[in-house]
Amino acid sequence: MSGMFEIVLPAVILIGGAFIVYVISRLLGVNNRVESLITVLFLTGTLLALINNFLDIPVLFSNNNAVYGLFDPGGIILIPSALGIFIMIISIIITILITVFSGEYLARDPRYLVYYPLILLTQAGLFGMFLSNNLFNLFLLTELTTIAASSLIAFRFHQEIAIKAGFKYLIMSSLGTMMMLLGIYFFYRSNGDMHLIHVLESPDNFTRVAAACFLLGFSLKAGVFPLHTWVPDVYGNAPSAVSGLLAGVFSKSMLFILPVICLRLGMTREELGMYLMIFAGFNMLVGSIRMLGQNQLRRFLSFSSIAQTGYLMFGLGIGFYYNLDQAFSAGLFLFLVIAMMKCLAFLASGVYQFYLGSQDIEKIQGAGLYMPLVALCFSIALAGLAGIPLLAGFAGKWMIFSVALATGDLFSIIGLVVFLMSTLISLGGYLPVIVKQYQYSDQLENVFVDQASSLKISRWMLVPVALLALMVVIIGFYPGPWINLVDYVIRWMLI
Amino acid sequence: MENYELLLSGITFIPIVGMVVLLIWGNATKKQAALIGILSEGFALAIPLVLLSALRRNDSVIFSFPWIPNMGISFRLSLNWLSLTFLLTEVLVTLAAMIYSLGEKMGEKNSNYYYALLLLFSLGMSGTTLADDVFLFYIFWELMLVASVLLILIWGHGEIRFRVALKYFIITHLGSLMVLVCLITMYVNFGTASITEWVTQAGNLPINMQTFLIVFFIIGFSVKMAIYPLHIWLPDAHTVAPMPVTIILAAAMLSMGTYGILRFPFGLFSLETLQPFAIWMMIAGLVSEVYGALMALAERDIKRIIAFSSVSQMGYILFGLGTLTQRGMEGAIMHVVYHAIVKALLFMVVGIIISVTNERDIQKIGGLGFKFPILCVCAAIGVLGISGMPPLGIFNSEWMIFSGGFDSGISIVLTVMALIGSLLTVIYGLRFFGGIFFGKKIPDSLPTKAPLGLIVPTLAVTIFLIIEGLMPGPLLAWAMKGLTSIVGSFH
Repeated sequence: MSGMFEIVLPAVILIGGAFIVYVISRLLGVNNRVESLITVLFLTGTLLALINNFLDIPVLFSNNNAVYGLFDPGGIILIPSALGIFIMIISIIITILITVFSGEYLARDPRYLVYYPLILLTQAGLFGMFLSNNLFNLFLLTELTTIAASSLIAFRFHQEIAIKAGFKYLIMSSLGTMMMLLGIYFFYRSNGDMHLIHVLESPDNFTRVAAACFLLGFSLKAGVFPLHTWVPDVYGNAPSAVSGLLAGVFSKSMLFILPVICLRLGMTREELGMYLMIFAGFNMLVGSIRMLGQNQLRRFLSFSSIAQTGYLMFGLGIGFYYNLDQAFSAGLFLFLVIAMMKCLAFLASGVYQFYLGSQDIEKIQGAGLYMPLVALCFSIALAGLAGIPLLAGFAGKWMIFSVALATGDLFSIIGLVVFLMSTLISLGGYLPVIVKQYQYSDQLENVFVDQASSLKISRWMLVPVALLALMVVIIGFYPGPWINLVDYVIRWMLI
Repeated sequence: MENYELLLSGITFIPIVGMVVLLIWGNATKKQAALIGILSEGFALAIPLVLLSALRRNDSVIFSFPWIPNMGISFRLSLNWLSLTFLLTEVLVTLAAMIYSLGEKMGEKNSNYYYALLLLFSLGMSGTTLADDVFLFYIFWELMLVASVLLILIWGHGEIRFRVALKYFIITHLGSLMVLVCLITMYVNFGTASITEWVTQAGNLPINMQTFLIVFFIIGFSVKMAIYPLHIWLPDAHTVAPMPVTIILAAAMLSMGTYGILRFPFGLFSLETLQPFAIWMMIAGLVSEVYGALMALAERDIKRIIAFSSVSQMGYILFGLGTLTQRGMEGAIMHVVYHAIVKALLFMVVGIIISVTNERDIQKIGGLGFKFPILCVCAAIGVLGISGMPPLGIFNSEWMIFSGGFDSGISIVLTVMALIGSLLTVIYGLRFFGGIFFGKKIPDSLPTKAPLGLIVPTLAVTIFLIIEGLMPGPLLAWAMKGLTSIVGSFH
């Protein structure tokens, strides 16, 4: 193994951290909070390593030495990408907040020992997917994340629905990875190699079939219509913290890996753009329409997540179809803000479930009167997702609007009309939930009379939620620097 | 940057400071909260008056500060004669509503939030009138909506308020989205968000795009104006909202739609381009005028009667704009101001009637005139005002709107119909007045006096209405200058 070690340092910290956290916790018998703090320590280390890489981007990408691996035949070659580093930074920041949140959220779960290592492994797998330039490694790392994630989803294994959700995710994701495996077969048959270092000059039919297989595989993982059916079942039944991580960051980041792979396998930009834009429309409509009738908080958020996947795809699709760099910026900015808002929404719903013992939307009626801060943060998340001005979602909406109109083409205008319909329909979903929190209800009064002590919300939960809400407001008020950041990443993006 | 330019930003920043103080001061009593609210709003009223002299010198005062430079978006406010007229109307109405709130029975609890939201509502409107950057314009435009929805949600009447607020939000948001599509289309085409820069370039757009933009702008803003059939949010929202909020909604917020139409389609495109849409605007205005008046005649709920009268009055304004003549458009601008005063007065009267009788059905109220003579006089002046009786203001503006209609030469028939339609206003006005203040005395156990806290602001508005009606000179001058600044001079 040789090359620039700093490229893989974050992954090393994550994987090493997973072992160390588990061993230390097991040997010393530490409690949940301590374990979550140890995990935060490793995550912070990873974050610093990633930020170091991010600052080095001009150096890393201006020479060709930025590789690490085993350069023998059949070896592993890892090449970083600016996009991957940026997405991982967002992912790690959100994971840190989720880990702190879990310090209290898992207080009633006896199996917390394995939870934190699994979180670290998921992140390691995701980072590896961005680094790998070899289809076989990509496959392995996808499997790693799938298995870690499905264990997290089924974390509360004494609950039947948790097992069901975990199993469903495992089956569906395996279906996705199986498609990838099939793709690898076709690619290998045609090229006799599995490296993806250069964009193929003239792809043959086998390679193109391989590209289609990978497209399907990643679409399934991202929850693209009609392969989205697992999303509500899984996010609706997994622990809130896990759903926040998966829905906010993990499945959406698949949309950024997908083009890298498919374009290198010979798919043209027009084909990819058209695919993304057409299915974006379905995602937006299905997500926002199905969101309306939901009575479970997290199921409701899952359907809204499907719609947001659609928004992201729409932005990226425009970027590919019309070769418009601003559209990539819009997509990446949207990814950043959706990650925060979605995660915030799931965490706040987790607080409700923790204290009210239910995730029924009817049951949160009046919660705003007893937990004003949580209700405010939850409202900020939902209003942000609905695109209300001065919150982060609005700047994203504005950017998507701008790029769609900038093309001046009928295809993207039709997409924009669907986008508009979807935002309008989803308003009908978000607003009643926001309002519900502030409606008076006597049943809630009974809950709080019974457990008067729990009126005070644990700081472990409140701090991450409040921080995320603050970020949503700050980005909304002052999107300039963040847009600069995203533009910077897009400039170094090499697809 | 000159001092008076900094001062201009105070119109937006001082209410924000007031809001922050109110949000922090959790245990403020209602009077303390009201004091902060009225003080901050008072600054928003004083600043434009102070800036009048600078405005006379330059015709506009601009405050600009870079906000999101990489998207070409800045925090740019511009005060000119048109925005001044709308700004003063809106701020005065908010002040009146704040003072009126003091007399309302609302309870002390959370009154700091109530006044903070009123300030936010007003900030949304003043920001909308002042914004010279579309991003900023849209943000203020939506803030206005968010604040009013929150006010209806929290202080509205009955459980129905949740559904009403939702309906109000979604329908007006649909209009906002149509406006947003236009704004971003132009932003993308011109590469800048500054409205002043748009004015010089808008004429170069392809003609179908201009048509598309004009149609979308007018429909989008008509939702806010509650023009038939886009008015469906209005009656419920006005009925359910607490009275001071209803006053602001009807008297100030509706006119923001007019401002939008004047600012965007009228301000950006030439009158020749707008000509094909003139007759449609006049027809929509006429239909709205007649429909609103008929519904006001059919209603029994006194608050809804006045609410539907807004639909009717906004019809006059759209009709005036649609004439595309100098007199018609000036009349429309003046009608906005006069309608604001009269509508505030009428809703204040309704508020007092509801608070003394606890009854909203016009058939269960009667004979109040003998018991509350001052209220009766105020109501009489309000009703005469809305019916267009000289010398009360609306007479002036309706005169100009109709003469604009005859000037335009588009359709004499439409103008005559609108003129005859205005008779309906007299009918529903007299039904309202006669039904409540004359006839049989139905409620027996009435308080002997109307609440002083409510009657004083009502009287003040009545007197203001008479003064404005008698001295329309300054307002007409502002309307003329404002109109010239957006559509150029008429020959």
